[in-house]
Amino acid sequence: MLARVFAALGDPTRVELVTRLATGDASVTQLAEPLPMTQQAVSRHLRVLEDAGLVSRGRQAQARPAHLEVERLEEVLAWVGDRRREWLDRHERLAGHLAEIQEEQR
Amino acid sequence: MSGARPEPTEDELFTVTTIHRAPRELVFAALTEPEHLQHFWGPVGTHTPADRIVVELRVGGRFETTMINDANGQQHTMRAVYLDVERPGLLRWRETDSAVVTEIVLTDRGDGTTEVITTQYGLPPARRSPQARAGWRTALDRSVAYTATLAPPQHDLHPSRSTDPNPGSRP
Repeated sequence: MLARVFAALGDPTRVELVTRLATGDASVTQLAEPLPMTQQAVSRHLRVLEDAGLVSRGRQAQARPAHLEVERLEEVLAWVGDRRREWLDRHERLAGHLAEIQEEQR
Repeated sequence: MSGARPEPTEDELFTVTTIHRAPRELVFAALTEPEHLQHFWGPVGTHTPADRIVVELRVGGRFETTMINDANGQQHTMRAVYLDVERPGLLRWRETDSAVVTEIVLTDRGDGTTEVITTQYGLPPARRSPQARAGWRTALDRSVAYTATLAPPQHDLHPSRSTDPNPGSRP
């Protein structure tokens, strides 16, 4: 299930961040440690995830740990799934329409 | 109320590949002419009047459709702007509300059939925006989805085959 959201997010770094947070809250420092980028870069990715509501930040003055919002993850999955299903269904109907118009041309 | 819209990005949401049993030019026409679009654009349980479809087939031109729920008359209008138009092989447009980009690549398979790859790019709507929340699973979408499950299939034959690669295979 998580793999589909990772595809939706598109960016491999955000995939890493969500994977890590799925196992528990973490600070920016902890998240940045295994990644080949600065803490500022990690913070930018976290902001994208926060805008999507996938991650929330704690309010402690020092640490502000990042927290994965699982319910939101499921909502994002549904959003992407709906869009994909819309086009799968549309192509089925297009196939039917193409068959009809070519039949009429005989 | 947040007025922020998600920035359009290269983030892929999904891709599906369909083989259509028709020449590429005909498939392209079906995707770009109101007379064709009206017949398949919206799901069962809706109609998409041709006279309310806007296709300005050029970069920067409008692409708009209005689906009307047959049961309750609720309407949903998609407004988009073309980013790329290359007859008969490429269409890209960006939806105004969501900034989601839809890209359609058509390839002649040499046997009278056409491969169509449909990809959408974008980010999920920002959580805090009420417009964004309204953008998913609106009452219209739910009622249409429900109606679609009641209707019999339109065609016994399924001349097209659509597949979407396993997204888990991506990094």
